[in-house]
Amino acid sequence: MKKFLGITLGILTAIGGFVDIGDLVANALVGSRFGMSLAWVVLLGVVGICVFAEMSGRIAAVSGRAVFDLVRERLGPRAGLANLGASFFILVMTVAAEIGGAALALELATGLNYLLCVPAVAFAAWLVMWRVRFETLERVFGLAGLALVIFVVALWQLGPDWGQLWHQASHPAPPQDEGVPTYLYYAIALLGGAMTPYEVFFFSSGGVEEKWTRRDLSVSRANVLIGFPLGGLLSLAIAACAATVLLPAHVQVDSLDQMVLPVALGAGQVGLGLVILGVFAATFGATLEVALSSGYSLSQYFGWQWGKFVRPREAARFHATILVVMVVATALILTTIDPIMVTEYSLVFSAAALPLTYLPVLMIANDRDYMQDKVNGIFSNTLGTIFMILLVAVSIAAIPLMLATKAGQ
Amino acid sequence: MRKAWPAVLAGVLVVAGCSSPAWNDRDYELKAASSAEAVGSTVEVVRLAVGGDGRLTRPYLKVLLTNAAEQVQGVNDQFGGVQPPTERAEQLGEQLLKVTEQAEKVVSGLLMEVRRDRVKDPSGAVRELAQLGESLRRFQDDHE
Repeated sequence: MKKFLGITLGILTAIGGFVDIGDLVANALVGSRFGMSLAWVVLLGVVGICVFAEMSGRIAAVSGRAVFDLVRERLGPRAGLANLGASFFILVMTVAAEIGGAALALELATGLNYLLCVPAVAFAAWLVMWRVRFETLERVFGLAGLALVIFVVALWQLGPDWGQLWHQASHPAPPQDEGVPTYLYYAIALLGGAMTPYEVFFFSSGGVEEKWTRRDLSVSRANVLIGFPLGGLLSLAIAACAATVLLPAHVQVDSLDQMVLPVALGAGQVGLGLVILGVFAATFGATLEVALSSGYSLSQYFGWQWGKFVRPREAARFHATILVVMVVATALILTTIDPIMVTEYSLVFSAAALPLTYLPVLMIANDRDYMQDKVNGIFSNTLGTIFMILLVAVSIAAIPLMLATKAGQ
Repeated sequence: MRKAWPAVLAGVLVVAGCSSPAWNDRDYELKAASSAEAVGSTVEVVRLAVGGDGRLTRPYLKVLLTNAAEQVQGVNDQFGGVQPPTERAEQLGEQLLKVTEQAEKVVSGLLMEVRRDRVKDPSGAVRELAQLGESLRRFQDDHE
């Protein structure tokens, strides 16, 4: 049991990364428009995030310091600032979207307008970050997010044409009525969602919060190898549910209520209850993950005391950053801006900023001053280099494709 | 005349804010096809939800129908604001709006029923929605 609870950091990180509000809708939208023909991107994303999360977990375990903590020291303040600048704006936008997502889940459960739930969700999230221990937080929301496994159950209950799904997945090309640029745009959005930078900030900082040492390297790897593939499996199940129910009906998903419809049709009211619980846990967990990541990244850049492993009084600027981010994000979402649209854009901007996050991870994981005998081996370096080339190509193509396709329309 | 230009500009901006232009018949036709696609998608979601009425909770169905009604109304308002460049385009617009306004009426009616209690005749509603969905899809295919 203790070993199982030891991997909840990976589960929470992956659920927050793979099935946050933007991904939930993006996966369903992709399933309803492209079937399973973009499944390869999810698999690619799982491999990519596993490679870099393993490096960042190893960095945390060996050096006792989080990735961002080392970026400024190793690469200098300018490179650190570029990294911080690229990610911080996206983090604030994402916190806003996740608060909106959790409020939308409450709306589905109660029928109450989501805007009325936003202040309560934001306050509850801030209270959890202020008062609840890190281990409790990751266990409760990581495990509650597992309710999303209902997508797998619902898919089974829906009795899809497995051969058709496999045919779509094994023929990675856009359907006849979709253009190649739109297909590539969604491929980039899915990859951006799978490899969201805050996953690495949160995972490595979480490792420090949990006081990982060299002896915890196996725990770190287990987190990576179980958590992220699980997140990928959930992504695929969401897309497959949409491909089974919504694609034949020519539905193009654009809201959370439409996204959970296949589960309700496949698994009934119990399934609907579980999927709403799962969506709430995933988006609330993602709110915590992203808001904490904003505190981690800013504090680590400026060298402030950070973390929940010290009392709030000792990490006052870290907690003040989180509070300010929560207030700004709540105000933003209360303007009635569509939370789903916000994350869809943030996924693409994340994709554009990916090399800035992952290049320092690759460099530090190769630095013997920090890693001693635990530097990258040939396998990690080969994969890391291949992904860096891919991420640079993705970052160059992301914004032009967004403009050319009017954000995938 | 110089004093008049801010008022003219303001007038242009107000008019532009109220309605979007269609450059020619083909542009208008594409806008109509896109509107048919959007309403058709929403109608199909409502059809699936109403068909599975017993499997959904009332608060969920209420939220889904509220969003659907807002979406259809939004598309109707937006497309209704596009000025048809020719008489032929005007006829095309009327043909589409006849179906989409019917869709809006049906979805709003279903929402009303769910707010009061539940959908009275799910199978009848599913049939009507299926017909609407089919009409919209045919319109989209003909004009894309």
